[in-house]
Amino acid sequence: MRYQPVIGLEIHAELLTQSKVFCTCKNEFGGSENTRVCPRCSGLPGTLPLLNKNAVYLAAKAGFATDCTVNNYSSFDRKNYFYPDLPKAYQITQFENPICTNGHITVKGGKDIRINRIHIEEDAGKLVHDDYEGISMADYNRCGVPLIEIVTEPDFRSVSEVQDFVEQIALRLKYAGVCDARMEQGSLRVDVNISIMPVGSDTFGTRAEIKNLNSIKAIGRAIEYEIERQSDILDNGGTVVQETRRFNDNHGDTKSLRSKEEAHDYRYFPEPDIPPVLLSDEDIEEIKKSMPQMPQVRFARYTKEYGLPDDDAALIISTKEFSDFYDETVKINPDYKQVSNMMLVELNRNLNDLEKTINDVPFSPCDLAELVKMSTDGTVSKNAAKDILKIMFDKGGKPMEIAKNNGFIMDNDTSALEDVIEKVISENADTVQSYKEGNEKVFGFLMGQVVRAGGKGVNPKLAKDLLTEKLK
Amino acid sequence: MFNLELTRHLANLSKIHFTDEELDKMTEDMTNIIELMDKVCEFDSSKTAYSLDAVNYNDLREDNPKDSYPTEKIISNAKNIKNNSFVVPKVV
Amino acid sequence: MALQKLRDMLDKKEISAVELTETYLNRIKEKDTKINSYITVCNESAISEAKNAQKVIDSGNSTSFTGIPVSVKDNICTKGIKTTCASKMLEDFVPPYDATVAKKLKNNNAVILGKTNMDEFAMGGSSQTSYFGGVKNPFDTSRVPGGSSGGAAASVSADLCAAALGSDTGGSVRQPASFCGVTGLKPTYGTVSRWGLIAFASSLDQIGVVAKSAEDTGYILNGIYGYDENDATTSKKSTGDYNCLVGSNISNLKIGIPKEFFGDGLDDEVKKAVLNAAEYYKKLGCEIVEVSLPCLEYAVSAYYLISSAEAASNLSRFDGIKYGLRSGLGENFNDLIANSRREGFGNEVKRRIMLGNYALCSGYYDAYYKNATRIRTELKAEYAKIFEECDVILTPTAPTTAYKIGQQENDPVKMYLADIYTVTVNIAGLPAISTTCSYDTNGMPIGMSLIGKSFDEKTLIAVCDRFEKDFERKEAVL
Repeated sequence: MRYQPVIGLEIHAELLTQSKVFCTCKNEFGGSENTRVCPRCSGLPGTLPLLNKNAVYLAAKAGFATDCTVNNYSSFDRKNYFYPDLPKAYQITQFENPICTNGHITVKGGKDIRINRIHIEEDAGKLVHDDYEGISMADYNRCGVPLIEIVTEPDFRSVSEVQDFVEQIALRLKYAGVCDARMEQGSLRVDVNISIMPVGSDTFGTRAEIKNLNSIKAIGRAIEYEIERQSDILDNGGTVVQETRRFNDNHGDTKSLRSKEEAHDYRYFPEPDIPPVLLSDEDIEEIKKSMPQMPQVRFARYTKEYGLPDDDAALIISTKEFSDFYDETVKINPDYKQVSNMMLVELNRNLNDLEKTINDVPFSPCDLAELVKMSTDGTVSKNAAKDILKIMFDKGGKPMEIAKNNGFIMDNDTSALEDVIEKVISENADTVQSYKEGNEKVFGFLMGQVVRAGGKGVNPKLAKDLLTEKLK
Repeated sequence: MFNLELTRHLANLSKIHFTDEELDKMTEDMTNIIELMDKVCEFDSSKTAYSLDAVNYNDLREDNPKDSYPTEKIISNAKNIKNNSFVVPKVV
Repeated sequence: MALQKLRDMLDKKEISAVELTETYLNRIKEKDTKINSYITVCNESAISEAKNAQKVIDSGNSTSFTGIPVSVKDNICTKGIKTTCASKMLEDFVPPYDATVAKKLKNNNAVILGKTNMDEFAMGGSSQTSYFGGVKNPFDTSRVPGGSSGGAAASVSADLCAAALGSDTGGSVRQPASFCGVTGLKPTYGTVSRWGLIAFASSLDQIGVVAKSAEDTGYILNGIYGYDENDATTSKKSTGDYNCLVGSNISNLKIGIPKEFFGDGLDDEVKKAVLNAAEYYKKLGCEIVEVSLPCLEYAVSAYYLISSAEAASNLSRFDGIKYGLRSGLGENFNDLIANSRREGFGNEVKRRIMLGNYALCSGYYDAYYKNATRIRTELKAEYAKIFEECDVILTPTAPTTAYKIGQQENDPVKMYLADIYTVTVNIAGLPAISTTCSYDTNGMPIGMSLIGKSFDEKTLIAVCDRFEKDFERKEAVL
């Protein structure tokens, strides 16, 4: 490739508050038109915004999740523009003094992507267009839904860096309880600023801003399309214009929305209706203390301290709840690898079969810890452990009780097992003969007969040794 | 210097339509007004480093949702409503 | 009649709340055609409120407001009652909610007689920019009543209500009170909730009181002040009991006379009257000291830049889509709203919006808006310095008395300059009160203003009351 892309991101994330950011309407998704609206969020004259404390705290948490500085002092500004989805004709946002600044996230390959700022702002309403009548209809239910905007420096140089960053941000915000990060529902929205420059150059080209990216895949496709488009322009001696473009998921291309000449002059100024926010050092410390450990920290612990393979660690951290379950389990039974195996293979198999998530697990990490222990110390066989887990899902109960009630406790009584083996040998004389003539393949069949006859408590290793002995 | 072009720009930012005649009058008015406003540019701001006021900081509202307003009250003053939504000429 | 006296009469059943209200309504019907102080008169709801008030009085549970007939400026939202801001834009706007002050009036069974006329969106000092016609001065109907709360001041001056709520962004309560020969109080920013006050300039707007005396303004303020969870800019520092110092000895106070307020542009008669008032206080034993507010020369410009910038943003919501005038013209969204705003707003409002966007727009922000806010900081500091020494400051309220209708309200620059003595108070967020200190050769009232420390309205009211008690005030004859 002769051109090097230079990419920066602006990520909007909806905050998981109960009420909207500047009024007391419920913060929910969807609903009939203009049913979650009040004089404040519909911009009636004479109304004033009332800042939601939880929105401030969640934004601070987003800051901690991305190694930002959470500022003691932050304030709000008005961003003025006219659009039918914005009833006050200004958006309340943080321009001069954002709540969080100077963070970073390390992407795959070890590169640090700098985060310039995280600020709080309000979402706009929703427009439904009617081509036939030539009208747009404004629904203000989404007006005032709290958002944070995360703004990075133009530090990305490839699609994979961008995708990894967005995946990490989404995961961290979910861990921190800041945002549910459902891109397809729009609760996490990514705008990409992209320019290209010749390889080896250090002068950035003119950038385009691409909006409307609602999946990790779309981000990749849009960037690749833009690199192509801008490269074509430069190759043909043209110049890239600064503009806002919209990505069309169906066509896989981007179309110009407006150029710089039409760009808004937002006339930012301090929002006089909202006194500045002062978080004391104690407030900030308290918020910090309430943060769960972030996924990247857990990943490092799993791989470096617990010796888990990267892939396994990555799977465990894929949701906070799963990782929490794992952590609780290994706290009781620090057999990291075995617990990991049990969860990633057997627990997940059950969850998949039942179409459930880790949140639906009907037993405690303590139970799982015990089950893993029973399996590793020979109390039950590996296969029995699987069966016990399934019973724990289906009917509930403690693993030891289930094992006892179902005869899963491994029987280490040699004489009883010898009787079973004798019986199997006598009942399968032909097969035994075949084995003795060198057909070792039938050993498995005979083992199966032993296990079947001996019941769930048969210790497979012991059975194998004894059977081998008897067949000599 | 204030001029017609600037008036047009401000009219566009303000989203107020003016006739050509009105634009001329507005340019004249604004020229006089801005002349008065230019006084602030003479202010020597180097000496105002201090801010003494005990700032009134935000008493943050607890995150307790309440019922919204009845839709009919929210839309009661609008001239053009369809599907309980505010109607405008199609945008985009 | 003093509000406390009305209260006593109502409580002693010397007059019923309904009789009192009917008296005012009849007077409005008879007299208001001469001065046009009301946009909306609430004939029916006022009577029904009076009936309810009488029930409360009869039950022995009356509070200070019960049955007191007041007027409310038409930029304060009243649920179910048209609230127009004197603009064609909001000609038929009926708010679905009450302003906090309206709620306080209603909850305490005050009687709202009607909504008073004003300059459109409170932008002006003459009350001539109203879409519903200009207001006239009850002392001389060929003259302006001042503004923007001209209807409020005129309604009090002409006895068309017992007291009035107005709003003061740059002098809009004090200057019309001065022109109409009544008392106007602008409380400290954050004392009275702005919830439901249709915003002009949010960082400067404050609801104030126009009444027949300083004591009456305190009487009303006692019922409307206070922290409001609906307005994050209200303060918990407001004290209440605003008449507690009335009648107390004020002779130990130090009164500052800022020399810059008595320079060029001040009418000689006004100057003399205000300095005479200073003499009066001196005779009482107060110490009169000359002080300085060097920043005054920048104040008008800074005020107009800040207030217009905020107004440009605050008034952007009026686009005809959700409420207000919607033009029949406009093929697309931008045309529709630009035509709606063209048809709905008057010239002065358009000028302010244009000026505000000038102050904020790219390339001009630093020179204009930013410098104006620096001046604001400096001005606060200069006031703070004066108040280290003084208890109150005495100034003229306006450079002149009420002028003839048509004389200067069409010259914006002249109009803006006339605000010089009132705007600094709003910029600094301080309380101030204007009362009549004399009458000019035409018989028009001359106003003086007392400016106080933040949240020290009670001293202002006491100092103002002391003067009023020894001053023979004239009644307007309509």
